[in-house]
Amino acid sequence: MADMEDYAYDYDYLLKIVLIGDSGVGKSNLLSRFTRNGFNLDSKSTIGVEFATKTLEVDGKKLKAQIWDTAGQERYRAITSAYYRGAMGALIVYDITKPETYENVSKWLKELKDHADDNLVVELVGNKSDLEHLRGVPTEEAKHFAAENQLLFTETSALNADNVDLSFEQVAKAIYNMVKKNQLDLSDYSGAKPPTGQTISLTPTPGAESNKHKSNCC
Amino acid sequence: MGASFSHLGLSNDVVSSVVSLPSSNTGKKSSSKSKNLQRWTSSGLSTPRDSEHYTDLDDDWDSNVENCLTSVNSQPKFIENKPTFEYPLIRKISSGVKSSTDDGALALYAPHILQEEESHKELEEMNAKLSRYHRFKHLVEESTVDMDKLKKMAWNGIPSELRPISWQLLVGYLPTNSNRREAQLHRKRQEYLGLIEQEFTKEKDAQTWHQIEIDIPRTNPRIKLYGFKSTQRSLERILYLWAVRHPASGYVQGINDLATPFYQTFLSAYIKDETDVTQFDPSTLPKDSIDAIEADTFWCLTKLLEGIQDNYIHAQPGIIRQVNELKDLVRRIDTELSNHLDDENVEFIQFSFRWMNCLLMREISMESTIRMWDTYLSEPNGFSEFHVYVCAAYLVKWSDELKKMDFQAIMMFLQDPPTKNWTEKDVELLLSEAFIWQSLYKNATAHLRG
Repeated sequence: MADMEDYAYDYDYLLKIVLIGDSGVGKSNLLSRFTRNGFNLDSKSTIGVEFATKTLEVDGKKLKAQIWDTAGQERYRAITSAYYRGAMGALIVYDITKPETYENVSKWLKELKDHADDNLVVELVGNKSDLEHLRGVPTEEAKHFAAENQLLFTETSALNADNVDLSFEQVAKAIYNMVKKNQLDLSDYSGAKPPTGQTISLTPTPGAESNKHKSNCC
Repeated sequence: MGASFSHLGLSNDVVSSVVSLPSSNTGKKSSSKSKNLQRWTSSGLSTPRDSEHYTDLDDDWDSNVENCLTSVNSQPKFIENKPTFEYPLIRKISSGVKSSTDDGALALYAPHILQEEESHKELEEMNAKLSRYHRFKHLVEESTVDMDKLKKMAWNGIPSELRPISWQLLVGYLPTNSNRREAQLHRKRQEYLGLIEQEFTKEKDAQTWHQIEIDIPRTNPRIKLYGFKSTQRSLERILYLWAVRHPASGYVQGINDLATPFYQTFLSAYIKDETDVTQFDPSTLPKDSIDAIEADTFWCLTKLLEGIQDNYIHAQPGIIRQVNELKDLVRRIDTELSNHLDDENVEFIQFSFRWMNCLLMREISMESTIRMWDTYLSEPNGFSEFHVYVCAAYLVKWSDELKKMDFQAIMMFLQDPPTKNWTEKDVELLLSEAFIWQSLYKNATAHLRG
């Protein structure tokens, strides 16, 4: 209930962003750092999806990021992939101290390819940068991989807040720019109508799907 | 659906036998050869009946056995594990209630307890609680436990001292016939140790082990008990063993949560009266006791998961089914709320997936969960069917609030509902509401759907 004030007409665009990546890489803490400036040393694993929002300002426009934090375990992918549909951005998070979580990034990319929209903005996020002494994934290597795959890239620390805002902001900006470029006028669906949360087709509900379809047409 | 997957898992051997007893009555009956069982007694088990001796447990142990053996047709008498401070207090206050078993305890507990004037109502409540306790105790002490009666009584909550044995009976781990318990318990505990030995001496399944290791420190992180190494190692072994023996499911996040009410409840039988189990470091117990707690937890968790294994296999069809049932149910119970959720494009899976996956354990406290399980274990399909009615009652409880909220507010509210501090009374109200919905809708046919 951090942002009660967000309930009404106080944003121009609503952007759905998903947070994915292996179990234990720090997705939930990235989200709580970004939306509540909080970090839980004793958090439980995420089951299903969890949801939070934060409004950013870009070019004088208010972008409300609606972020869906997903469970990392493979067994949940069949369920969580349903949440990818309608997403406009995704952060694929790995743990810089755990090379196997980095190696799985291609699996996550494939997940997005299979279940998400094609023009999705994707960012590769190496979390736990505060654990430099335990680093197992060189920055350059990840950066190179990101460039090759046309992904945005940052290294973050949810613990000490390094680059956390930046990582979300650059995704939001990229979505905004893409939207402008593609003349995909989202304001038809957000500003002009009472924002009932899902207005912009950001989830796979049948109603929302049809909205989205419309938006792609014009 | 469930049955069709059972052959994929290795659970048949698990199902095959009605298993045995963890409870102290075995200890009372057993010959003094059994060190394990002696430890049961010496680690704080005593009975109010004999509690005038209970500072010297090793001494009273033998006499206890004699008493038990002679008093009830040579049947071992169930002796509750520990008189916590609550029950002695109640017993004292309600000393007017005639009870053949509590006289010894009366002498022990300070008379000053009564000096403070208790209100009449409190006294009545305590008397009711006490008499219920004795009726309950009597029930589980029978040489053949009447399961229908036990379920009826346990539905309304089990006194904490009697919970370990009651749960093990209800879950089907303990035979109802007390004569069979000791041998089966012994066998089942040995079997567990054998399986552990077998699985932990070969190369581990890396992925499973990795996931369990990530989740163990994230299991009830705010309860001290779960921060102790000994607890964590026990849970690790239990979860890993279950996972490798049930390959169709394997370890799925959330199963770690489900192991803990059993673990904590069974552990409570081994610790001293005044000790709070949530603060207790199990490493102070003898290894035999830890092994026994682990084995009992493992087999009971296995029994529980048998009933809901579709929740954790690929694509989690059990959960999907329950979510759909919940949606149907809420449509019938509270059409306005159902319509509002529809209008706001809130999908049931978005908020109730976790309710099903973790049996509401993420929404309410451990204490509340344990109370809830008394009822779930007493229902025919508590965890797979009755739970859906509980979820419905849980959701419509917030109907007025939710109907004023938009999508975002609803999601935020339901993922962090104000029920973490619920008391036993709140849970009991929820359970009775669920019971009503179940009676009304369980056999309702499709044409009644709104």
